[in-house]
Amino acid sequence: MKLRDGLRMATRSLTGHRLRSALTVVGIVIGIATVIIFASFGTSVQTDVVSEFESTSASEIFVVTGDVGIGDDGGFFAGSLDSFALPAVTTYDIDQLRNIDGVESVLPRGSVDITAVSYSGQTLVLDSLTATTPAAFTEEDIVSGSAFKSGVSGEVVLSESAVERFDANVTVGDTITVNREDGSETVTVVGIATQARGGFGSFGDFSPTVYVPTDPYYQESGPTATSANQGVDQPAYRQVTLVAQPDEVSDTRKRVETYLNESSDATQVLGDVGITVQSTADLVDGIESVLTDIIRLVTGIGVLALFVGAFGIANIMLVSVTERTKEIGIMKANGARNREVMLLFLTEAVLLGLAGAVVGVPLGLAVGFGASLYAEVGFTVPYIWIAIASAMGLVTGIISGLYPAWRAARVDPIDALRYE
Amino acid sequence: MAESSESGAVVRVQNVTKEYELGGTVTALDDVTLELPESSYTAVMGPSGSGKSTLLNLIGALDTPTSGNVTVDSRNISTLSESERAQLRGTQLGFIFQTFNLMTRLTALENATLPLVFAEWDRTQRQTRAQDLLEGVGLGDRIHHLPRELSGGQRQRVAIARALATDPTLILADEPTGNVDTETGNEIMELLAETNKRGNTILLVTHERRIAERADRIIHMTDGTITRVEETEATA
Repeated sequence: MKLRDGLRMATRSLTGHRLRSALTVVGIVIGIATVIIFASFGTSVQTDVVSEFESTSASEIFVVTGDVGIGDDGGFFAGSLDSFALPAVTTYDIDQLRNIDGVESVLPRGSVDITAVSYSGQTLVLDSLTATTPAAFTEEDIVSGSAFKSGVSGEVVLSESAVERFDANVTVGDTITVNREDGSETVTVVGIATQARGGFGSFGDFSPTVYVPTDPYYQESGPTATSANQGVDQPAYRQVTLVAQPDEVSDTRKRVETYLNESSDATQVLGDVGITVQSTADLVDGIESVLTDIIRLVTGIGVLALFVGAFGIANIMLVSVTERTKEIGIMKANGARNREVMLLFLTEAVLLGLAGAVVGVPLGLAVGFGASLYAEVGFTVPYIWIAIASAMGLVTGIISGLYPAWRAARVDPIDALRYE
Repeated sequence: MAESSESGAVVRVQNVTKEYELGGTVTALDDVTLELPESSYTAVMGPSGSGKSTLLNLIGALDTPTSGNVTVDSRNISTLSESERAQLRGTQLGFIFQTFNLMTRLTALENATLPLVFAEWDRTQRQTRAQDLLEGVGLGDRIHHLPRELSGGQRQRVAIARALATDPTLILADEPTGNVDTETGNEIMELLAETNKRGNTILLVTHERRIAERADRIIHMTDGTITRVEETEATA
């Protein structure tokens, strides 16, 4: 029998029992669609989260005093930095870090206690200013104006979220008042930015933030630590972000780690507490691996659904073999070989499986796309899972059809022809 | 019509015994020897249980003997593989059954092409062939009908067209008139006679004397043995 004739005959048998075939296919469709829905939605979330990290903080290395981590133990930075990190990275350390091979810039970050900021008669309660360096602002970060200058007092950059908090429209060049417990200071808004690099989590600064230069604000009123290397007290930071050369992130991270753990002031101050050094790549890897595990788990549930569908095919094919015993006898009397009978039934099972894939894949993609829209993440087509799901449709058909097809091939033509 | 022992035999059955295990050994055929000469028309008669169906199954390569040899078209069916026997059935043998045994979901035309599908004929070729045959049995205007849309006699004609599709050496007819009325039965027998005249060897199994008399000779069977071979008037 020619392949095309086999396909034609198998199709004829399946369309001869439309409802039965359709219901069997539905089982496979549900299985495959479930796999695709979970895989596409999961992959979309993963891609979205990972790209968010990569776009905002490519090649950054985070240094945090204290033992926190992402990746190794799957934990996440929790709570306020002040609650677990100690001011330990001294200005001496920062100068040393700046000189390490592969480090492009060092962005220390600290907070300066205040009580509120006010503009145009409106007072906004804010407990701290965020001290950082001009290098923390990239061109994309600045919405209008420019970054402040280091060493210059009286200049601030507002985050967009801070601007939004004021009813009146704050623009570059306006002055705002910063209130501290011991007085107040009038400062000029020199720039408005979406975010500053070196923030924790790096999703941008959602809470209203007022940025000031570390010099002089943090250096004058921030905490200090003893520099073991220089024998004097120096301003010290809880958190420093280093920007590494993009192709040397991993090596640079190792060098930074070595310096901090072996000869820095920070390690002297911290003792057993330790320092956490992590690159964006580590964070991304950690998050990616957690999400991959979750995707696998939920997609596995879809595979279970597919198993149920496979039993549906096997069941219906077995019924079909019994029902068509006489047909098998007729075919054998007319020259059909055992393996042709077997192939015929196997083809039917495979067609059912493939039909499930053909309907299930687009359905799964559509629902996955809808879920992505709903969750407001960019949709990523899970090509690999489409291939896997289609292959599963095929394999499901083959495996569930094998035994019934083998039974069909073994039908004794004499008995079959007598079968009523 | 050449019917002589000198011409080659299409079928040779030599000392064939067939036993079944059905809670004890049942001997369906007991040392049967028989030859079907080329282009001959033979009827096998006998009561049920006489072994005539078993003989037909063996000659039809649907079964193999317990001992002895069945040779069809010079090929010993005992030595053929299952696949080779299927090919033999598909190309050298044509079956006509009492219950027609048509594929219910296939049209008359598709049913008639069935052996040609397994013999891997080209689609257009086999349709032309089947259409010619269906026209030959008087069903030229019913070729796209399903079996359920045809009368018993028409169904049996489709089965005859199917049996003739590959122009087989031997046609095996098992009670071909058993499920049709007398008049239709006569028409069916006419078709078989015409087929025989065109050179196809026919082996007919029946329990009706009237039908058997259409053949050149009648082989009478009882309890798995041939009891008598009768030359009919048709031979004369």
